[in-house]
Amino acid sequence: MVKLQWLIPLLPVISALLVHLLAGRIGKRVAQLSVGMGVVTFLVALWQIVVYIASDQGPSWLGIGASWGSVYLDPLSAIMALVVAGFSLIVHIYSVRYMAEEPGYARFFMLLDLMTASILLFVTAGDLITLLIAWHLVSVMMYFLLGQNTESRPGERYAFWTFLTYRIGDLPLVLAAVLLFQAYGALDFPTLFDRLMADPHTEVLGMPAAITAAGLIAVSAFAKSAQFPLHTWLPYTMDGPTPVSALMHAGIVNAGGIIINRFAPAFVNADGVLHLLFVVGLLTAVIGSVLMLTQNDIKKSLGYSTMGQMGFMIMECGVGAFSLAVFHLIAHGMFKATMFLSSGDLIGDARRHDDVPQNPLYTFLVDRKTGKPTRLPWLAIGLVTLIVPLVILLLAHWAVSPDFFQKQGAIVLLFFGWITGVQVLFATHRLDATNPVRMMLMILLSFALIVIGYSIIGHTFETFLYPDAAFREALYHAAGLDAVTFDGLVILLGLIVLVGWIGSYLASREESLFGNRFTELRLTLYSLISRELYIADLYERLSQALLEGSKRINVWMRWR
Amino acid sequence: MNTLLLLLAGFFLPLFPLSMAFNWLLGRFSHPVIRVALILVWPQIGVLLVLAAGVPLSGSVFLWWGLITAVFYAWRLLTVRELGQWAAMLATSAFALTWVMAANGAWVVDLHASVIGFAVAPALLVVVAMLLERRLGAAYSGLVTGMARDIPRLAGLITVVLLAAMALPISPGFFVMLTMLFGSDPAPVIVALLTWLLWSWAGTRLLRDTVFGPRNDKNIADLPVAQAWAFAGVIVAAVVLNLIWTGV
Repeated sequence: MVKLQWLIPLLPVISALLVHLLAGRIGKRVAQLSVGMGVVTFLVALWQIVVYIASDQGPSWLGIGASWGSVYLDPLSAIMALVVAGFSLIVHIYSVRYMAEEPGYARFFMLLDLMTASILLFVTAGDLITLLIAWHLVSVMMYFLLGQNTESRPGERYAFWTFLTYRIGDLPLVLAAVLLFQAYGALDFPTLFDRLMADPHTEVLGMPAAITAAGLIAVSAFAKSAQFPLHTWLPYTMDGPTPVSALMHAGIVNAGGIIINRFAPAFVNADGVLHLLFVVGLLTAVIGSVLMLTQNDIKKSLGYSTMGQMGFMIMECGVGAFSLAVFHLIAHGMFKATMFLSSGDLIGDARRHDDVPQNPLYTFLVDRKTGKPTRLPWLAIGLVTLIVPLVILLLAHWAVSPDFFQKQGAIVLLFFGWITGVQVLFATHRLDATNPVRMMLMILLSFALIVIGYSIIGHTFETFLYPDAAFREALYHAAGLDAVTFDGLVILLGLIVLVGWIGSYLASREESLFGNRFTELRLTLYSLISRELYIADLYERLSQALLEGSKRINVWMRWR
Repeated sequence: MNTLLLLLAGFFLPLFPLSMAFNWLLGRFSHPVIRVALILVWPQIGVLLVLAAGVPLSGSVFLWWGLITAVFYAWRLLTVRELGQWAAMLATSAFALTWVMAANGAWVVDLHASVIGFAVAPALLVVVAMLLERRLGAAYSGLVTGMARDIPRLAGLITVVLLAAMALPISPGFFVMLTMLFGSDPAPVIVALLTWLLWSWAGTRLLRDTVFGPRNDKNIADLPVAQAWAFAGVIVAAVVLNLIWTGV
């Protein structure tokens, strides 16, 4: 069964070679060849996970070399291989027609195949060196895919930004691998993780190996998954082809969540690092969402939406819900892939027909106008939207896992789920409808179905990814805070949300909590947000200074 | 440990400012065969001198001198536009890292092999510079852009060689870096990683000004198919030899 695992990253490499060699002879039909190989890869990945579950033999590892070159079959690699192969296949199929008029058609499919191979190798790697190779290759392939239109200066510029940030993310992983190898003397994951769990407090040169390595892996994850302040590349990658945006936002950007899950044995022994993940994830989710508000470009707006989602994913890891982060990245990948591919169509349509689509949803979302006022009383709706999501969330989780509420991380997640639910219900009840009561009931029913479905699938997924209950418990325990800090944070967050709701209510009535007293501050804040907090400008200034210094020293030393 | 021998080795495994001699020599000779020979042979003399002085050099000032030289030349590489000069500075930066391996007490064979691994990309770059000089009269980045569309085979060769220059997988430089880092202490590793990052930055700047960009109206001859296959063969051979060396 493990031998089959080798085929998964190998098939796209074969496909890339065939596309390159046959492009001259069969022309654009290379796309069909690439799609065909994509189908086979997907089927192999599907077969593998089915056999893995059916055989119930547990993880297995196989190496081809003396020191490195191996694949590892465990629940994480099996599920991620299937997901990556699936997303890649969708993007391949979409690209056949979408890219038909673009230059470098065959090159695009070759690069797409190589990128797929790199990600598949990354998720199935069985040792540190193989993982590092795949991790670096993803950066390289991303650069060339984003720069697919080689004549576009902005395209190349943003591809370069992405590449450099990815390199900043590549290198801490190398350092983490060095530390882990020096501490535990093993490259292959099974041996390495066994030794790490047996002696998690091993030190290298006075540093705790597990905690330091986990911190470095976290930095790597931050760069690849666009966490604040390493996020600036993400919204600017829209000059790349739409299928590449879809692949990136649906799959590649999730690499951070996957690498954290892969090194879960290090993170379970690094509670301080988990708290760091939570803080960075939270900041990223908030900043991403705020920056999204001021965007008027659909793809850039989706870019910031992805940033916010990645923040949630890292935050989930920070509260110990590792498997939920994987489930989240799969779910997010599915809807973001389809959204990006649709946005490409939408932009195409808008270019062909300049009339703006007018329908109730557009009027509500873009013009910020509601249709006819609903007959439902505001207070009743307020209570329903506050109480119902809470009840549904608590009941759904209680039904599938009664001990869920004893974990701090779970409480944090429920809190976020509740606020999100309230916001969704509160926003949608104002939609134009002939029968507002029926519409509200349908919304509540949909919400209940989503939450119940999400809870059942989420908990099933957790036991699949981490079958050892003690390990799951240890993850939540490592992410825990002392009771006073935790309660204080919950109260603080509750107050922030309450002020937000009051502000939102007053804004809807065109009133303000503070009158005109803070108008100037609000305008400053708005300009700061619309300029994306000047972070990209700061990096630009820094890089210019480095280049200027380099040039001066070269002139001074006569280029010797 | 013989300090005089090590100082002498500083000319061959270039340590700044002794490194200026190596860069001057590479600039002095224009014939590509001499340049390639210099890149391949020069650092091997340095390895012999270091071995004669006695390894490991742990705790030695030469370790940090090498590291600072490597990162210094990597930084300077950012604004170099002439390809031959770029190859020389890259070689200087890379060879200076050999001191890290010497400090770790690497095996004799490993030291020689590492230097060869680091020399592959600069040597190939010298050949690429020659190919460009024959077509354009000079090998400056920014002189002709958009090669990916105009001369795809030569652009492909430049791309692969520059990826090797950035020590990206699965080039020899990548495995040399990994071998070196896995045997080092964390502090030197951080400086070496910074050097690696700067190589990537400098390499992409060179790609931007040659392979990417708008097309030129100039009629430039592409690399003949046979030559392209020959270069592909050389690169594949270098990769395979490295994979064997690293244990696959």
